[in-house]
Amino acid sequence: MKLLLAEDTRDLNRGVTMLLEHEYYEVDSVFDGQEALERIEQESYDGIILDIMMPRKDGMEVLQELRRRHILTPVLLLTAKAEVDDRVAGLDAGADDYLAKPFAMKELLARIRSMIRRREDYSERRMQYEDIVLNAEDFALTAGNSVRLSIKEFELMQILMANTDRTLTTEYLLGHVWNGEPDAQEDTVWLYISYLKGKLRAVGSTVRIAGSRGGAFRLVCDGE
Amino acid sequence: MEAEGIYGEHLPEMEKIIDEMKTRIDLLREHIRQKRGMDPVEHCLSRIKSEDSMREKCRRKGLPETADSVLFQIHDAIGFRIVCAFVSDVYMIRDYLADSDELEVIEEKDYIRNAKPNGYRSYHMILQTRGYYIEVQLRTISMDTWAALEHHLKYKKQISGNEDLIVKELKRCADELASTDVSMQTLRDMILDH
Repeated sequence: MKLLLAEDTRDLNRGVTMLLEHEYYEVDSVFDGQEALERIEQESYDGIILDIMMPRKDGMEVLQELRRRHILTPVLLLTAKAEVDDRVAGLDAGADDYLAKPFAMKELLARIRSMIRRREDYSERRMQYEDIVLNAEDFALTAGNSVRLSIKEFELMQILMANTDRTLTTEYLLGHVWNGEPDAQEDTVWLYISYLKGKLRAVGSTVRIAGSRGGAFRLVCDGE
Repeated sequence: MEAEGIYGEHLPEMEKIIDEMKTRIDLLREHIRQKRGMDPVEHCLSRIKSEDSMREKCRRKGLPETADSVLFQIHDAIGFRIVCAFVSDVYMIRDYLADSDELEVIEEKDYIRNAKPNGYRSYHMILQTRGYYIEVQLRTISMDTWAALEHHLKYKKQISGNEDLIVKELKRCADELASTDVSMQTLRDMILDH
């Protein structure tokens, strides 16, 4: 796990760096916002800890620049002023969490763990059910063979794989996969379910999709 | 012997077998067109393997360059490629050929359900009639497109250097085309079922 720490107070920077390294994180520490941005452009981090008040570029500017460039690395803001407006502005600008100074080191560590865990949980890169693997890196559905899924097929497959213990109604799928798009109807869901049925057969999987047009759906294994 | 070529006196019989096979396929197409209103075959190619590639194959396999080897040890002297519109058409043609009284199925390989590691997909059959072998490759238009383009690139790829990437990307293209085949089949089934 590689972290970037941007904090201009030298003692605090050194203290936090030592603590994080002691917890086996790999840490790059910098002392202003400009330097932080330069590092982020060159390296990729699992998490970024930004002090708000920093010379050259402050933490908010760094955060806005990151998100504008679609860098989605989790960010924890350190705020000196425990002002509500500051925290709200930080979260609205795309921070994942904040911590007001002074803070307990124990709490800093817990928040870093939680921030990194959240990212891993929500963007599952690889899902598996029975003999099928769904890979979010390349949208490939694999059993014996592999095929590529379109975005909607992929999202539908993802939600089916995450809910193998219950059936999902057509309305539920319209709401969660098509986000209530006005053009999407019962037939849209059925067509995409049919695509996936064919693709499961094409990759030689024993997994099927149970359910009929307009009804509720669930992945089942052929043995069931 | 040299003037007659490697197939010798067998050549007229081989040509006759090709003609019979063509007629067989034409009749089947007509039959299906009348029944379902759709021709399952996009195109059908046949060939007798050229003298040069046959001799090269004998050398590769360590066989003597005789009519006996090329007709009875090697099974693709007579080749058919039947390109179909939909995946289901491939299996329909396969079933018909397998059911024919005049053809005996010697070997079958389903590279559609079990694609080759490079992404190649086709249904291969070795048939036998009156002692002669016929190799039949059945595939969809997409599979044919991929095979044709991959064939072009195969000879160019040693130039560029990053062969692993090209192999991986060709596989990805094959998987994407296979996915499209399933989508088109699903749409067809949906339209015909209505």
